[in-house]
Amino acid sequence: MAEKEKMKYGSLNRFVQAVTGLFLLFFLGVHLYVAHIDFGHPVAFFSSVINQLHNPWWLGFFLIFVYIITYHGVNGLNHIIADTSISEKAKRNIGIALMVIYVITIIYGTILALLVAKMTVPS
Amino acid sequence: MVEVNKEMKEGITAWAKFYKKGMGYFAFAFHRLSGLVILFYLYLHYTVLSNLLRGQATYNAIVKSITYGPYDSFLVLDFLLALVIFYHGANGVRLALNEFGIGMYHHKALFITFEIIAMVLLGLFDYYALQFVGVGF
Repeated sequence: MAEKEKMKYGSLNRFVQAVTGLFLLFFLGVHLYVAHIDFGHPVAFFSSVINQLHNPWWLGFFLIFVYIITYHGVNGLNHIIADTSISEKAKRNIGIALMVIYVITIIYGTILALLVAKMTVPS
Repeated sequence: MVEVNKEMKEGITAWAKFYKKGMGYFAFAFHRLSGLVILFYLYLHYTVLSNLLRGQATYNAIVKSITYGPYDSFLVLDFLLALVIFYHGANGVRLALNEFGIGMYHHKALFITFEIIAMVLLGLFDYYALQFVGVGF
């Protein structure tokens, strides 16, 4: 029964990993274009980043981007660890640690983005 | 699949043993390796972005130094990072389609197709990104 539940959770986990990965194609595509190309106006330096985060739509975009990409990365690492030969207990503990790291990262990311969005653009 | 499972139990070092294991194993091992590289870069990126709070002069100086590095050598790392991201994304699409039950019996063809598309897009990205490197500094 426990094994069946574990398999069910594993399938759901892989499915969520796939869905977040597909979302990231869009988010990362937009980010790479805006940050590195944008035909002469790439966002890279201080004033351009501040200007962009002053727009609430971009702020929302980046917050969701951070939540999804961090989840995808941390969950992917958890998949790799799950495939190693370490003990089940160690896997469980690492899984919990990764979950904590995820939560701390998104809280930190949210606070950072909101603080940056409140900064004034230097004249 | 049994082969892959066996190798996974051998640990991360087993990923580097590609000899005679075929394209599927290469795709599997490099997907994981590239994922680790991207995750490392992600946290590095967050660290750099944290310097926005230290003001314009500091942030711009840091971005400039890590973008170019000594003799512009860091630009090479940028291109390698882009290569890793495009590879991971293309193979990720294949894996996601498999997860939804699509292309289960055409792994190799899908892998090659998506990687060719990704490498063409990578070439375009590198071409344009290089033109605008440092614009606005």
